[in-house]
Amino acid sequence: MENKLKDVLIIGGGIAGIQAALDLGDMGIKVHLVERKPSIGGIMAQLDKTFPTNDCSI
Amino acid sequence: MEEIRIGVFVCNCGSNIAGFLDCKELAEYSKTLPDVTFTRENLFSCSEAGVTDIKNAIIENKLNRVIVAACTPRTHEPTFRAACQDAGMNPFFFEFVNIREHCSWAHKNEPEPATQKAKDLIRMGVARARLLEPQESIVAKVEPSALIIGGGIAGLTATQSLAARGFEVTLVERTNQLGGLMKGLYQIFPGDISAEQLTSEKIETLSKYPNANVMTETNVVDVAGYVGNYVATIQPNKKQEIKKKFGIIIVATGTRSLIPDGLYKYDGKKIITQMHLESLLKTGKFKTKNVVMIQCAGSRNSERIYCSRICCMTAIKSGIFIKQQNPDAKVFILYRDLMCHGVENEEILRRAKELGVRFVKFSEDQPPQVEENSVKVFNDVLGREMEIDYDSVVLATPLIPNEGVESVSKMLKVPLDEYKFFLEAHIKLRPNDFATDGIYVCGTAHWPATITESIHQALGAAARASIHLTREEVEVEPIVSMLVDEDACRGCGLCASVCPYGSIEMVQTSKGIKANIVAVACKGCGTCGATCYKHAIKMNHFTNEQLTAQISVAFNE
Amino acid sequence: MLDVGRHPNVNILAYSEVESLKGDIGNFTATVRKKARYVDEDICNACGDCLVKCPVKKIPDDFDMGLKNRKAVYQYFSQGIPAVMTIDPDNCIYLKKGKCGVCKTKCVKGAIDYEQKDKILELDVGAVIVATGLDVFDPTPLTQYGYGKMKNVITGLEYERLINATGPTGGNLLRPSDGEMAHKVAYVQCVGSRDFNYCNYCSSVCCMYAIKDAMLGREHEPDSESYIFHTDFRNVGKWFQKYEIRGKEEYGINYIRGRVADITEDENQNPILWYEDTETREVKSLNVEMAVLSTAAMAAKGSSELAKKLGVNLSEHGFVAAGLPYPSDTNVPGIFACGFCIGPADIPESVAQASAAANRAAEVVFLGEKKKTA
Repeated sequence: MENKLKDVLIIGGGIAGIQAALDLGDMGIKVHLVERKPSIGGIMAQLDKTFPTNDCSI
Repeated sequence: MEEIRIGVFVCNCGSNIAGFLDCKELAEYSKTLPDVTFTRENLFSCSEAGVTDIKNAIIENKLNRVIVAACTPRTHEPTFRAACQDAGMNPFFFEFVNIREHCSWAHKNEPEPATQKAKDLIRMGVARARLLEPQESIVAKVEPSALIIGGGIAGLTATQSLAARGFEVTLVERTNQLGGLMKGLYQIFPGDISAEQLTSEKIETLSKYPNANVMTETNVVDVAGYVGNYVATIQPNKKQEIKKKFGIIIVATGTRSLIPDGLYKYDGKKIITQMHLESLLKTGKFKTKNVVMIQCAGSRNSERIYCSRICCMTAIKSGIFIKQQNPDAKVFILYRDLMCHGVENEEILRRAKELGVRFVKFSEDQPPQVEENSVKVFNDVLGREMEIDYDSVVLATPLIPNEGVESVSKMLKVPLDEYKFFLEAHIKLRPNDFATDGIYVCGTAHWPATITESIHQALGAAARASIHLTREEVEVEPIVSMLVDEDACRGCGLCASVCPYGSIEMVQTSKGIKANIVAVACKGCGTCGATCYKHAIKMNHFTNEQLTAQISVAFNE
Repeated sequence: MLDVGRHPNVNILAYSEVESLKGDIGNFTATVRKKARYVDEDICNACGDCLVKCPVKKIPDDFDMGLKNRKAVYQYFSQGIPAVMTIDPDNCIYLKKGKCGVCKTKCVKGAIDYEQKDKILELDVGAVIVATGLDVFDPTPLTQYGYGKMKNVITGLEYERLINATGPTGGNLLRPSDGEMAHKVAYVQCVGSRDFNYCNYCSSVCCMYAIKDAMLGREHEPDSESYIFHTDFRNVGKWFQKYEIRGKEEYGINYIRGRVADITEDENQNPILWYEDTETREVKSLNVEMAVLSTAAMAAKGSSELAKKLGVNLSEHGFVAAGLPYPSDTNVPGIFACGFCIGPADIPESVAQASAAANRAAEVVFLGEKKKTA
């Protein structure tokens, strides 16, 4: 990867945005993850446990 | 042997630790422990200042083991390991002692005993640190090529996506035609797209990629190796078998529709399946006027308790087509719950109702009775029995696992769930990965899915796979199991059978059958080591000696 | 979440919003406003010393659905990433009146910075992924359910916070009216969903989360009773039917087919649910100690404004329009979408879609401009 790769902008820091950021980051692409709330995590961070296995998964 | 010189850093974590524990006393106490030559209390060990302090202390005091008593390794172990490495130490000579989550936070109301406990934890950390060994990361090259098993919409999409990125892709389909279940479908909702057109477009795009090798009437008969270095034996019909190396494998073996022999007087003529109806609609051969559709035919019962996810929508879609082709036709859909989740599905349901498709709810314990020319059903909502005349009865049968999934599962050492759909690494967070690195799953092999969902999953699996292919090598932490006593290994294979990651293979050696642990595929869970009754397997970085030392000082000072 | 927090290739810009996007596939320029936290992110490590003496105490905590109060300086939630404090400029006395400054004196690290300004960042990117998620429907307009008037009628997301060990009640299911443990709880499905006046679609996840919530309630209080009032019981995902059966058999959840028409209250503020049992076709009522409304999930607030800035088309329900044959793509080449913003989705669907969107974005980045869509 001699050429500098372009970055990617992700809007939304919930589970979907986080997963997309991890995948792109792992491919060697720089990602800007923009979240309007003070922390990332989204709705999923507010949940207690999640179906169908009742673990927290965050 | 080099003299052991341990440095212990006690972090205050602001008031998170120091607010409850006597950190000064902890630092003083640490000095009294064997081989501890340096101690320091930091306000925040993880801060820039704290890290610099650790680095300087290593150099100035010739430390060769570092302990930080602070928070959790989940957040800061990489930080401190990197600091050790920067100062010239092997990063695996670092030991983390958690006195926050495991101590100050848990015992907020009992500062004195909590300080005692923190001393115990530090003493245990020191005992282990004395026995730590240097470790080097394990790196393996990745063959930049992919094997896709199954040429339905999921396999085609994954192949196209990886081929577009320039990787060598081999798609293997066991039948003589690509397209899978799509071949029998008519129009796809939402969006009213022709299934045939969608599939043929994919196939045509694929043919433009010289790096995509599509093999029909071909089976994968054996797979050996591990992430980055799989070797597959491929058997094309009536031709010489081929052995080929692949970096990753995507399982897209799909599913099939249940043939409901013995259910609701199924005969394949007057009483047919939804799949059959689709093919009739496609060729314009479906002319009957009175149609009764029965949902959950062979699913959501004691034998097959799952919901096949797509059958309600398939029935509603077929109902719409029948009404559009022949507005005079009468269509009844007998259902238990109408599974129209999401935005589009609810809209499609409304469209069907507007067109005059009738819906009748029945309950599991009172299933419809198919008679000679009519169907009797107890309408749950009205509370009375109805008799509906029919020319055709259409049964919505579930998608069931394809034949041969067991052999694929065995060959790739990836698990199936109780219904024989493939079992992913994590049902929520890793829907398209297997626990075994380098193998992925997408489409209906994973669970009944719509075409849109299959495409999403295929693109997702391809994305996950492309991570290894892009990086060209895999690097794993050296916290893995090792066969340390080959003579003790009796080749029983217990370790290989319990390994959740398929990282142990039994191999023939000059000394007989022995376990061979593929370090790069190992996740260091320790299951094999615990299972081996000959104690032939050791866990790197968590050896019996290290753990025993920790335990023995836990109970006596 | 932690993994992304420490990923060397991921630049987290929390407390930030996209102001505009210019350019074309492969060459976008995004303007992002990074709002002032009045706290230096590089110095603060969320130790919490600053908030102990903050005199502004009664601000409803957004993360805890207003069930708890927070101070003017706060951490959004305790495991939040980045792990830093934020000062709320609408409520901080110093920022409004120039007096107080207690938090600054308490912060030994010197992280408080009242002079901090919003920063405008210009980012050059090749592709954009929209993953703005969801917000839940506010059931106040459905006056028959009494939300907002009856204290013991709460929403599903409020329930999540009550039952959560890090939540306002430390994980105890205490009812808002009197702080007593709720032992008999009813869950009302399709509140705002499948409703012509509000969300004319199925939110997809509520049937399952109601079962989960009822299970958790029972795990916390083994003698508790729970009732789920549902229409079609749409548990269609992997292992969901088994979960539904487990809820009934192992947790004793009562599944009742029937839409709740009305909720009233007795003298002890116990909600009374009035419903037609569609299996027996009778109008019945049930007294419970707490009622949980499974409210519709909808496209996140502000997502239509964002869509305008990006030029992305939305469907009539406000979700990003994305469909076959390229379900990760929007109408704008180079802008992709995933998760709840394209329509109701559970966690594994959102994750698969996220990887799919990442795939499409990676294609743009690796292949440069020559490759447009297909």
